[in-house]
Amino acid sequence: MRKDGRPDHIEDALVVIHNKQWFTWTDSKNKIYANLRLTEKVGVDGNLVDNTVTELPTESAVNAKLKELQDAWDAANGG
Amino acid sequence: MALSKIDVANMLTGATPVANGGTAITSGFKNGITMADLWRITTAFTDDATPIASNWERADTYGFGQLGTGMTESSGVFTFPSTGIYRISFHVYIYLNGDDRLIETKIQTTTDNSSYNNLSDGVSFIQQTGGALTYNNSHNEGIFDVTNTTTHKCRFTVAVGNSSTAIAGDSNTSGTYVTFTRLGDT
Repeated sequence: MRKDGRPDHIEDALVVIHNKQWFTWTDSKNKIYANLRLTEKVGVDGNLVDNTVTELPTESAVNAKLKELQDAWDAANGG
Repeated sequence: MALSKIDVANMLTGATPVANGGTAITSGFKNGITMADLWRITTAFTDDATPIASNWERADTYGFGQLGTGMTESSGVFTFPSTGIYRISFHVYIYLNGDDRLIETKIQTTTDNSSYNNLSDGVSFIQQTGGALTYNNSHNEGIFDVTNTTTHKCRFTVAVGNSSTAIAGDSNTSGTYVTFTRLGDT
């Protein structure tokens, strides 16, 4: 995410697609779709529970969400 | 006349205080801090994480320096390398395109490796500025007496009022992070 709020990375889309810590990266210094994975557990009310997200969104769905967010930002900011 | 050395011991009677030139510094004081560590969240998320269970890493960029044996982490639970008095800090980088009146961050500790209590409770909020993405942070500090490394552990939580509130994660620059400093013996 750019500091002005314009989404510029797929992680910006992923945090909108689902809430909580539902995803992770096999290499957090190379955040590309190929390195995207589901977490097994998330923290809820002091406990570790199974991640309710059981399927990764497709790469095209992630890219489409990112473009949707960028278009919305551009429209709101005179882009 | 330049003063290069004054033999204070010859001017006093009785014990010579260390601050006055005595030689007992290494034997009279504990040596300095021997353990310092920093862990951070690598990946952003929205909504609550009670606790923050994943995506932790030890800082490894831009000259980070770990001192001594560091912490270990598993599923968001941190284990101390040795007994002692530790200062724990928890800094949370928050952003939202909207409003959130209560963002609560906590350092939680256990002394039985089971039930957790709130060592520190911090709050923050976001009131959107300029109709745009708005930022804030929350910071917690605590001091924890680790008398047993098997039973005394800690974890970190974030609870938000607006499920769209995001917590930043970055594997290069520390935005949401925890630090551990061993201050001395228990």
